[in-house]
Amino acid sequence: MKMSLLKPFSKLPGLNTANILLVESEEQFQQNLADTLVEETAVTVNVRLAKSLPLPMENEESRPRIDLVVFIINLTSELSFRSAEASLKYLDPGYFLGKVCFMVTNARNASVPTERLDAVRKLAASLHCPLLFAEDQTPDGVTNAAERLLTILKVAAGLVPMATALYLSNLTRCTLPPDIDQPSFD
Amino acid sequence: MDNSTRRLLQRLMRRIPTPLLKTTLEKWGRLTVAQRQSMDFTQPKWAVTEKLLAICEENEWTAKQITELEMIYIIDNPNQGMWYAFQLMDPEDDAHSVELMQFKEQFKSHLSELVRHVSVKIKKHTDEAVWIRIAWGDSLSRPNHLKPTYVVHYLQTPYVFVTSLTSKQKPLLSQALVLSTRYHAIKDANLSGRKLTAIRDLLMRQYQQAFPTKYPSPLAEKNHTVSNPRIEREQAGLIANRLQMACEAFGDGMLPQLQSAVYKLETKFKDHTNKTMTERDEPFKCVVKFASTNLLESLRHCASSGIASTPVTPLLSSIPLKGRNYFVITDNGPSPPSQMHASQN
Amino acid sequence: MATKLNLSAPSDSDLSSLADQTASSRSINRSLRVAEKERRKNEAEDPFVLALKYFSDVEAGTPLFGNDEFEKNLVLVERLAYSKGLSPEAISIMLEFAMSLRMGNAPCVRVLKCLIPTTVVPQGAVVRAVVWLGVGKIPINTQILFIKWVLTVFDLIDAKDQLRAVYGFIFSFVTDENLCPFICHLLYLLTRKESVRVFRVRKLLELQSKLGRQPFLLHLLSLYKVFCPELVTLSIPSRMRSGFRNYNSPWKSALIAVQKRNGSQVASSTSLPFTIKDKTNPRKRKHCHLELPVLSSLVNKQAQTELSSSRKVVPLVQLHSLTQLLENMHRIELPAQMGSLLGSSLALQYLDCVQDESALLRLNFWLGYALHEEFLFCGDGGGSQTSEEALQFLDKLLSSQHFLQESFSSSEAFLYKFLSVWDGSLLRPQILSLLSNIPVVPSSQIGRLLFEPLMQLFFTSSLFFKCGLMECLSNMLLKWLTWHSVYALEDDLDISLNSHTSINMTLSGFKDSVMELVHFVGRLASVGLQLEGCHSLLLSFILDFYEAVCDTFLKYGLPLVVMPPPGVFYPALFSLDPVSVDRLAFIMYRYKVNLTSAKTQEKVTEQAFHISRQTFREFNQYLVVMVNCLWNSKMFNPGMGVQLGEELLLKSNVPQYWTSFDLIHHPAFMSYAVDFHQQCWPGRKDMDFNSIKHSKPWSWYLEYLYSQGYDGLKQFVPTP
Repeated sequence: MKMSLLKPFSKLPGLNTANILLVESEEQFQQNLADTLVEETAVTVNVRLAKSLPLPMENEESRPRIDLVVFIINLTSELSFRSAEASLKYLDPGYFLGKVCFMVTNARNASVPTERLDAVRKLAASLHCPLLFAEDQTPDGVTNAAERLLTILKVAAGLVPMATALYLSNLTRCTLPPDIDQPSFD
Repeated sequence: MDNSTRRLLQRLMRRIPTPLLKTTLEKWGRLTVAQRQSMDFTQPKWAVTEKLLAICEENEWTAKQITELEMIYIIDNPNQGMWYAFQLMDPEDDAHSVELMQFKEQFKSHLSELVRHVSVKIKKHTDEAVWIRIAWGDSLSRPNHLKPTYVVHYLQTPYVFVTSLTSKQKPLLSQALVLSTRYHAIKDANLSGRKLTAIRDLLMRQYQQAFPTKYPSPLAEKNHTVSNPRIEREQAGLIANRLQMACEAFGDGMLPQLQSAVYKLETKFKDHTNKTMTERDEPFKCVVKFASTNLLESLRHCASSGIASTPVTPLLSSIPLKGRNYFVITDNGPSPPSQMHASQN
Repeated sequence: MATKLNLSAPSDSDLSSLADQTASSRSINRSLRVAEKERRKNEAEDPFVLALKYFSDVEAGTPLFGNDEFEKNLVLVERLAYSKGLSPEAISIMLEFAMSLRMGNAPCVRVLKCLIPTTVVPQGAVVRAVVWLGVGKIPINTQILFIKWVLTVFDLIDAKDQLRAVYGFIFSFVTDENLCPFICHLLYLLTRKESVRVFRVRKLLELQSKLGRQPFLLHLLSLYKVFCPELVTLSIPSRMRSGFRNYNSPWKSALIAVQKRNGSQVASSTSLPFTIKDKTNPRKRKHCHLELPVLSSLVNKQAQTELSSSRKVVPLVQLHSLTQLLENMHRIELPAQMGSLLGSSLALQYLDCVQDESALLRLNFWLGYALHEEFLFCGDGGGSQTSEEALQFLDKLLSSQHFLQESFSSSEAFLYKFLSVWDGSLLRPQILSLLSNIPVVPSSQIGRLLFEPLMQLFFTSSLFFKCGLMECLSNMLLKWLTWHSVYALEDDLDISLNSHTSINMTLSGFKDSVMELVHFVGRLASVGLQLEGCHSLLLSFILDFYEAVCDTFLKYGLPLVVMPPPGVFYPALFSLDPVSVDRLAFIMYRYKVNLTSAKTQEKVTEQAFHISRQTFREFNQYLVVMVNCLWNSKMFNPGMGVQLGEELLLKSNVPQYWTSFDLIHHPAFMSYAVDFHQQCWPGRKDMDFNSIKHSKPWSWYLEYLYSQGYDGLKQFVPTP
């Protein structure tokens, strides 16, 4: 079977419309985020939810141009990280010019091994993508996460004058994991 | 009132949580209104116990009355310790017409024939269950009321549930049960759990079950969340499919709360990279145990959320289907009938 | 001693309540002596007193079984213990009886279980009991039970000095594998800087190699490391989970019940400040440790008069004014729970003026762990984080920091970590306030620790976050500058930035950090304004920042002038609201004053500092643009910052395009021009703005604008 790549510019944009694709292997947080995202009134936001990439061929027709791809990673689950990592190769390289971001949940959980957070940081840094942290447990956290995604989405969809996705991602992209473990209690 | 009775009451009082004390004592019905009112339940428990002991002394009650109180408490709070299910086999013609009085008499006489010192108390609960409390003794010692066995049997059904039974007592109880219920044999139902009601429901099929069908059920429709036209699931088909599979295996209602499922593997080791193990003649033995506060619910969630692959493997779905949570898995071939066959893949 | 204690303990009056009643009913006029006599007489018949007497007098080897007298007396003591608690005297007697094993082990356990103090536990009794431990006849389980009891009632022990004196003796028990976790916990509570010795560190390390990296050993070692970093070279993992478990269960509920029951009685009899809150070090309890313990010491008043003469320690809680604090400065006993210091201003004052390094270390140590465990390594994934408790805790921390006017180093370390996983919304007001309090960060670190996480948060968050962060950075700058002006030393220009941590920074280092910060904010501001469409709210917060920046030299004595980037200057100049333009004018005016004064000072003192030509050039450029644009109607003149081709401007068909942004045509001031025009020439039907341009009306118009409160404009161009 031919591998289907998701391409950023294969379709025409809609008027005053932004389309976002949320990829999460656990399919928990994405629904909450989607519900909050579509409440935006200034622009029409369409949300597509997926468990992983590639996306099914049969939706090819109905799917609008995706302006931003968000990989949601639950840090307490190795599977979640691996799944996101595996999905990345089904994206056209064009997406990595500012139209991909990572959103991480549970970063403050005691059961998260530091290595996993570092691995996610390295992944995001190597792809020059922003890495956002989200509090998925509280309503405020969900609203805030959706708001931040919208901020990026609007730029990525070309709705903010004088700003492009690449420009914003240059300002927000993840830098290599800071090694700030040392100043703890010395 | 002798020392052992005193200990029995003290131990029982320790077991009953303070909030339940008052109602349990009321149900017991032995205390007069004045006696009940004289007890101050806000006091520490040892003080209440002292008071109750005094009343018992006064009324010259014996172990008989105390065990009554114990039964009342256990019947209302059966979820303590492990319950094991048994199934009676090969009924005689009149097995379906055994009624309570007859059963009571028969059981007591059969059991006291087998064991010299035994104290049996039988009580019928509101839900048709017959509760039997057995304090075992042996030829030398008097019945030990501190470690009683509880047996719950539903008359006219082949099911028996037992808690705190030692292997030594098992054949004795089995024989008494078989004879008094007019069956020919009894076997282990391979089902156990901490919640009596749960294993009863599972075995007696008293919960909302799933009926395997080839056609997509309307349930899938219900689970498909149509939240907003602007939200679209790319892999909606997969999700609906998973939900349906999960429902087919486990139903979509409340599930009985099981705590564990054990799979005992006795199969040939197959791995072409490991010759020494593969070439061994004896089967490779290992035990897999799943544990959860609500195992069936967890398994259903695993299947519906995609953590476990669908369709659900018969190994998991046979827990509700067969009403058991202990399986022995062997390679295909001649094996005892109670065992389960599964080809390894 | 015993009778004295007896007098001070309310429990005795409680148990002989009958006696008290009769005594009090005989009116207060009777002499105390008579009442006392009466009381003693009654006490002598009190069965409880007799019971105590039995236990203090009973001989070793008295048989236990079938001993009805013993049984009767012990039940009496137990009953009282569970209902009202035991007086300090009773505790001493019972503890002595139990630990001496006079009647064997069985009653020992039973007695230990009922040792519920009403008020305090006398230190002497505990020390004696510890000595009995050393005799070695007590079964191990009973020994553990005893240590657990000490841990539970630790805060109720009336003084700790004697216990600390036998620190070495207690330490010797760590070698016992069963006792080790509990002994470590006890040592942890007792450790002072003096107690950290090389041989103890060595012993603990040896134990660690034997038992593995046990959390209780690590916790004790990390405390040692805090006190004497040079002795403990071992690296302590920053992620340690609950090192000491809660051992208070056997007594906890009974203690609470006794306290509850006594609560009303104690209050009415006004005999004791009875404020027991926590039974163990708060850090050890997940989800409860954010509750700041109340500053407490259980040494009561009567005992204090007696103690202070002999031992010369004054618990902090007994001081109520600054004068008292100053008088007792040299003999203050710090509470066991350092966290309680945060709640008391007097305690903070003490901390501030004494510069007690170990006290500050202990506080920082506690705080660091509390913050880390509660906000970074949450057990439940952080679901309960917005709880009232967490808010109150951070607010308390903030108010303490404001009081001390500096931050704790542990909260700083925590912030850097928290920023790297922050979603920008959780506890935002508190986090931003904490952030604005951090001391100057060296310029080599500032980018990595602060700017990188903040930049990412800034550009991906909402307008309100952007404004909040701007405000936070303004406050941060103001605090840095204030520190500089307060701590800068005249001669060598060195500044000690933090009075406690004494990080010394050279002036140039400080200047570098400030410059980094100002440039960083300039970058955020320029791009932020661009992304948010020059939102006037954001602009206002940005101008707040530059109001501080423009005055660094005159107001804070820092020889540094940094101009705003064009991305801030032009949006402010062409802003739609007149206030922003006016504020920009004021800021430019302050820049002018600062630069002129710097220049004159440079000439006069010939000091080494030097403001670069580039800064002057930038300033002049902005000045020319502003004057030409607003006053001279010479927009788009060649040589100005904004240049457009002549052809293009003609093509735009804007008539007299060069006047577009003067004070009359500027979109922010147009409405004033219209208003002025109507007032000046009420009869005129058609508007002719050019008539304002004539010299007379122009000066009137300016006067009119100034009268509307636009002082910035007035100061910017002084009236000739």
